[in-house]
Amino acid sequence: MLRKIFESRGSALLRLRLNQSRRCLTKLAYETAENDHQHFVPKMPAFDYKPPPYDGPSAAEILAKRQRHLNPCMTYLYTNPLYLVDGKMQYLFDESGRRYLDAFGCIATVSCGHCHPQVLEAILNQTKKLQHTTALYLNRPIVDFAEALASKTPGDLNVVFFTNSGTEANELALLIARLYTGSHDIISLRNGYHGNASATMAATAQRNHKYNVLQTGIHHALNPDPYRGIHGSDGPKYAKDVDEIIMYGTSGRIAGFISEAIQGVGGVYELAPGYLPEVYNSVRKAGGLCIADEVQTGFARTGSHFWGFEAQGVVPDIITLAKGIGNGVPLGAVVTTPEIAKVMTSHGYLNTFGGNPVSTTAGLAVLKVIENEKLQQNASTVGTYLKNQLLDLKEKHEIIGDVRGRGFLLGIELVTDRELKTPAPLETLHVMEQMRDMGVLIGKGGVHGNIFRITPALCFTKEDADFLVATMDYVMSKM
Amino acid sequence: MIRLKLRKLNIVEGKMQYLFDENGRRYLDAFAGIVTVSCGHCHPDILRAIEEQNKLLQHATTIYLHHAIGDFAEGLAAKMPGNLKVVYFVNSGTEANELAMLMARLYSGNLGMIALRNAYHGGSAATIGLTALNTWKYPIPQGEIHHVVNPNPYRGVFGADANLYAQDVQDHIDHGTSGRVAGYISETIQGVGGAVELAPGYLKLVYDMVRKAGGVCIADEVQTGFGRTGSHYWGFQTQDVVPDIVTMAKGIGNGLPLGAVVTTPEIAQVMAQKIQFNTFGGNPVCSAGGLAVLKVLDKENRQKHCADVGSHLIGRLKDLQQKHDIIGDVRGRGLMVGIELVTDRKEKTPAKAETAVLFEKLRELGILVGKGGLHGNVFRIKPPMCFNKDDADFLVDALDYSITKL
Repeated sequence: MLRKIFESRGSALLRLRLNQSRRCLTKLAYETAENDHQHFVPKMPAFDYKPPPYDGPSAAEILAKRQRHLNPCMTYLYTNPLYLVDGKMQYLFDESGRRYLDAFGCIATVSCGHCHPQVLEAILNQTKKLQHTTALYLNRPIVDFAEALASKTPGDLNVVFFTNSGTEANELALLIARLYTGSHDIISLRNGYHGNASATMAATAQRNHKYNVLQTGIHHALNPDPYRGIHGSDGPKYAKDVDEIIMYGTSGRIAGFISEAIQGVGGVYELAPGYLPEVYNSVRKAGGLCIADEVQTGFARTGSHFWGFEAQGVVPDIITLAKGIGNGVPLGAVVTTPEIAKVMTSHGYLNTFGGNPVSTTAGLAVLKVIENEKLQQNASTVGTYLKNQLLDLKEKHEIIGDVRGRGFLLGIELVTDRELKTPAPLETLHVMEQMRDMGVLIGKGGVHGNIFRITPALCFTKEDADFLVATMDYVMSKM
Repeated sequence: MIRLKLRKLNIVEGKMQYLFDENGRRYLDAFAGIVTVSCGHCHPDILRAIEEQNKLLQHATTIYLHHAIGDFAEGLAAKMPGNLKVVYFVNSGTEANELAMLMARLYSGNLGMIALRNAYHGGSAATIGLTALNTWKYPIPQGEIHHVVNPNPYRGVFGADANLYAQDVQDHIDHGTSGRVAGYISETIQGVGGAVELAPGYLKLVYDMVRKAGGVCIADEVQTGFGRTGSHYWGFQTQDVVPDIVTMAKGIGNGLPLGAVVTTPEIAQVMAQKIQFNTFGGNPVCSAGGLAVLKVLDKENRQKHCADVGSHLIGRLKDLQQKHDIIGDVRGRGLMVGIELVTDRKEKTPAKAETAVLFEKLRELGILVGKGGLHGNVFRIKPPMCFNKDDADFLVDALDYSITKL
């Protein structure tokens, strides 16, 4: 009896709240609330797949094994680590068969979707025929893929080196720049991330990723960050810092400049408009090469363009790729001009696994899927839609300091004070955990760990976007 | 450009130890895609594991839990001696050696690395530093690396005397460093360098010196690992030592882009100060494939098979050496064999041109071998580990035939 009264009062309160926040709620979520006034909870879009029952080891057993045998600096995204077993398109399934919306794309890597049928078919067919020979012998997939990649890149950028990761690609790019120019100095951006091997750790500029080892020949320029940066969105002003580095910190001649077009690990900071054209100019005047790290921004993720650097209206000398290039297959690439590539012919360079038939077949399948399924357009349309919803959410919740990015590379920065922009890492963690409980997986970034990274597979839909926003709203409202 | 050129050989398919070109012609693959296809091209068990995992979940990263990576790490650790039981997964041998060098420097607090002349450890800027073959070294700064005299029993100035070679290491430590080093790295049988097996007893002496100087000992098992040497599972075991860090790649996944670094919990701990993250490393498919490789190698008794077929092969090659003057040296163990060709047995003048001719002749007869050594005069015979005695006989007969016709 008492319960019924409580429930009816509860539903009245709910309706009141709904009216207040109606602007931020999607139609779907709202309907859910209307129909189910006992539990107002956003509902995940329908999906036609039920994972087979899982009889593997328990999460506890896995954790114990990891602690015994895997690297001790391994961190998990949640206090109670999520145990994944199955993945289909933009969804993941845990050991109990529960479905989650993967809005992180397993770190911007699953571009077409988990186990995308065309990519899977290509991989399996090739694996059954020939999986590895090395580039010592001819085989078809590597050239088909190289040719297809070259057709997507501007200008003279049509020579491809295949590697197995972003780190390897950036290491090679830096090596090429240094060899080509005969100089050693490289300029990269503060807050940038480029990899974890010797030269790439040096180029990376976030202390949590830099060990206390010798890292030479790198200069970190002021980050052209429109949100926190001292010059706001004035790209050319930030570019002056690069001029100063060249003028005072080097002999006046440098090997090159490397940057992401939208920083990934750093927290989705998009370079201030007008920045790259100025910098590329300065770098080239100093004899250096311009390297665009497209590991996260490449392959149509930003929606407006196929490559992130295109949004800044520049053409780099070297492009590095990885992550989404193979929908998760360990693959990376360096694309450059024939003239620059020639510098590698003075000595031997052979990447044993690089360009193997399976990885390159997967890469080619990814390009075809992106084209056939118009994923770039989807990233643009749904990405913009999602960003607008998030901007609405920002109006409602003080804790959202900034919403930025483009296409399916979006960031939401949480702050405890909008003016001072004090990072809110604890709240970020809390929201992320709560959203996981409700079935939405997002990522975290930034040196303070207060930035949500939303980088789903490019097949993410409007309904998925609605669900994500409704869930975030729900969680933030309860804080 | 220095490259192994196989004129227009278009490979389309592979099954176990054989490859097929676009005309359907079959070749005996005696090089295994550079010592990489360990179980055999498209080995059914591996294929099944890869397929099953690919259909479920191909990529997750270690920010989430997945069972495959832990299972594989456990499987690898079980094969290791001593306290070597913490595994880092990466995507290649180069990445593995980069990481090993980083660990050595962090753990020891020192900078100097010691490597062998004629070694190959990778193609990135830092591993190029460790590599000691001019054809593979671009002109870039490579700090704090000391290359010591190669304990090469065939060409080395001290023959097979490990003591004398080891003294060069102490010499470098005493004169070229502060007296403290970060570490030492070597292959047990040099791969790219031409299947050179380190003089017996060498590593024991060197490991001792390096450890006294505060350094860690790294065994590069990229080519020698997984039972290929026949006598042991790991190459370093042939020298009766236990390293501090072991790096592996190539055969670990039968061709999957996979590498690993195995070390002790004590050394691994040093990485915990910061974040060392590898996006693709340890992904479900590669982990499932890697674990399948371990199982196949055990189930099919590949290590013993390598010992049997290897000794048969080496035996026959040594007979061939009696017959043909051009064969200067036959060396190696198990299915990691080298044949060095010389125009003069005393001077040991590399028979570079002849090697190139024979290389093509063998291909015409249907056999794919590898080539190595600084002068490109060493045949590298490192087939998938399912290579059998008949294959060995075919190879030796073909070589005999080709040399006779030179």
